[in-house]
Amino acid sequence: MSLVVLGLLFACVTLFVMFSGAPISLGLGAVAVAFMFFFMPASALDTVTQNVYEEMASITLLSIPLFILKGSAIGKSRAGQDLYAAMHVWMNRLPGGLGIANVFACALFAAMAGSSPATCSAIGSAGIPEMRRRGYSPGFAAGIIAAGGTLGILLPPSVTMILYAVAAEQSLGRLFLAGVGPGVLLVALFAAWAVVNYRREYRRAERAFTARGEPSALLSHDRFTMRERLEMLPRVLPFVVLLIGVMLALYGGYATPSETAGLGGLLALLLIAVVYGVWRPRDVKPILAATLKESTMLMFIIGMSLLFSYVMSYLHLSQEAAQWIVGTGMSRWLLLATILLMVIVLGFFLPPVSIILMLAPIILPPLKAAGFDLVWFGILMTIVMEAGLIHPPVGLNIFVIKNIAPDISLRDIIWGVLPFVVLMLAAVVLICVFPSIATALPDAVMGPMAGAH
Amino acid sequence: MHAVSEAAPLVGDGPAAGHPFMPAWLRPAERAMRLVNRAMLGLGMLGLLAAAVVLTSSVVTRYFMHASTDWQDETAVFCLVGATFLTGAFVQSLRGHIGIEAVSGLLPAWAGRLRQAGVDLGCLAFCAFFAWKSWTLFHEAWVDGQTTSSSWAPPLWIPYVLMSCGMTLFTVQLLLQTVASFNAMAKGGVR
Repeated sequence: MSLVVLGLLFACVTLFVMFSGAPISLGLGAVAVAFMFFFMPASALDTVTQNVYEEMASITLLSIPLFILKGSAIGKSRAGQDLYAAMHVWMNRLPGGLGIANVFACALFAAMAGSSPATCSAIGSAGIPEMRRRGYSPGFAAGIIAAGGTLGILLPPSVTMILYAVAAEQSLGRLFLAGVGPGVLLVALFAAWAVVNYRREYRRAERAFTARGEPSALLSHDRFTMRERLEMLPRVLPFVVLLIGVMLALYGGYATPSETAGLGGLLALLLIAVVYGVWRPRDVKPILAATLKESTMLMFIIGMSLLFSYVMSYLHLSQEAAQWIVGTGMSRWLLLATILLMVIVLGFFLPPVSIILMLAPIILPPLKAAGFDLVWFGILMTIVMEAGLIHPPVGLNIFVIKNIAPDISLRDIIWGVLPFVVLMLAAVVLICVFPSIATALPDAVMGPMAGAH
Repeated sequence: MHAVSEAAPLVGDGPAAGHPFMPAWLRPAERAMRLVNRAMLGLGMLGLLAAAVVLTSSVVTRYFMHASTDWQDETAVFCLVGATFLTGAFVQSLRGHIGIEAVSGLLPAWAGRLRQAGVDLGCLAFCAFFAWKSWTLFHEAWVDGQTTSSSWAPPLWIPYVLMSCGMTLFTVQLLLQTVASFNAMAKGGVR
């Protein structure tokens, strides 16, 4: 059988199994084993389990459950609401300050928790009702939270980036740092849009008031005293200290990324015990159970995706596809655009973890051959997959928002979210034109990368 | 369309009441499996906490005592591999291993039941195969006294036995669910 036919057969069988609704992990594993049975020597089947174990038994991959532990410890406590309330009080004087406060709260929470849906529901459950009470249109409020939540997989520690680091054999510390600049850029873009759109809605409310005397909550202002502002700090500071402390341990050279994960998880549990009195076994058990449910599901997908990639590479499918891409002789930027488009399309039905593990062996060699910096590309790919979390038809964050604010129509949410999708794609273009947005920080902290272009 | 993500939130902390189409003669097995899963969840929690503690201690001992830290990473790996595999069946009991439900949601009820039974049977076959190969891997490591390649060199049968037990439980869990799915298909009930 020629490689082309084999490749097509492999793709069709995979698509069929995926769309049958089978668990992604078991489905990928079953496809891999079936192709091993028919197209590989019998000895390959004997080492399936050893293969999966050896791929999974990397402490970098296994730091994922610990990062999830940190996220769910913080996510299940009241930290989200407190963080949001503090931001609100401090940003109140700016025009559109409430919207900015929500973006900032999302970014900070995302940096601590590392998960997009968790950020959306933690900040959104307090932020969306508050923004609507102050006269923000429902779509605008929903858009801010849906987009703010996506910062979770860009700012460190991000599960997606851990996987990318493993798949692309890049330094995890460098990737984490490279995410910071683009993260700040996105926060700035989101905040700027919050101000622009607030002004637009404010003027509309003003016109309605002068023309027809319609009052709007947008036109009233709150004032907070300095004392009220200072009172908010003690509840937020411990978490900011946790965030900075863990980063210092990592980049000060005291801890490896996986040790940072263990340290962060333990410190997060300690903090919610001290700050919110969550220490009894019956309080802590749900946090651990939720962590295991999510991490086990994820680790199974990761393990089986790795087996799947192994089969693809053994059968020379990934190499052949990579060579074909190189052979088309596309210009560098066309190549990059095509690959990012492919990531977007795959994002319609696969979670980021599988996209990275399945696509990496196919797309990374051509990108490397074209002279792209793979750390920089990891950031672009992450932003594009983030956009997938909020754009229709599947965007997960949209459904999280629908859950916490059921009375906002899906149509309003989608229209509110679209400007943010555009901003994210604008950020991708900006990072292409000015790569140093991503690479300057890691180069400054860890020295320039060997062999960078 | 159903969304999937790197962090799909899962609801509920314990397995719900039994499967509506579990045949009566299998109910005791279902209950027993629920108890086993709860025990494994407890073990998984301990493994998770132990890994966090071990990795933290690694940072502390290196900083204060300048001691070498060669055993911590592998201990943490064993704990986390164990936690992952042992709780696989528990997650399956909640149907928490996410899949793409975009197409299956569009099928008529009878086709949906057929699909579910087929999917469960396929998953069962894969898990049974995987569990079998895990046990042979364990047996080999045990007989040959295999160790990891690090200087600490702990025996490899430890993670392998955790993986084997976990995949066996996963298989049993799927067997129960497959029987229930076929029963649902035969009786034509709406799920």
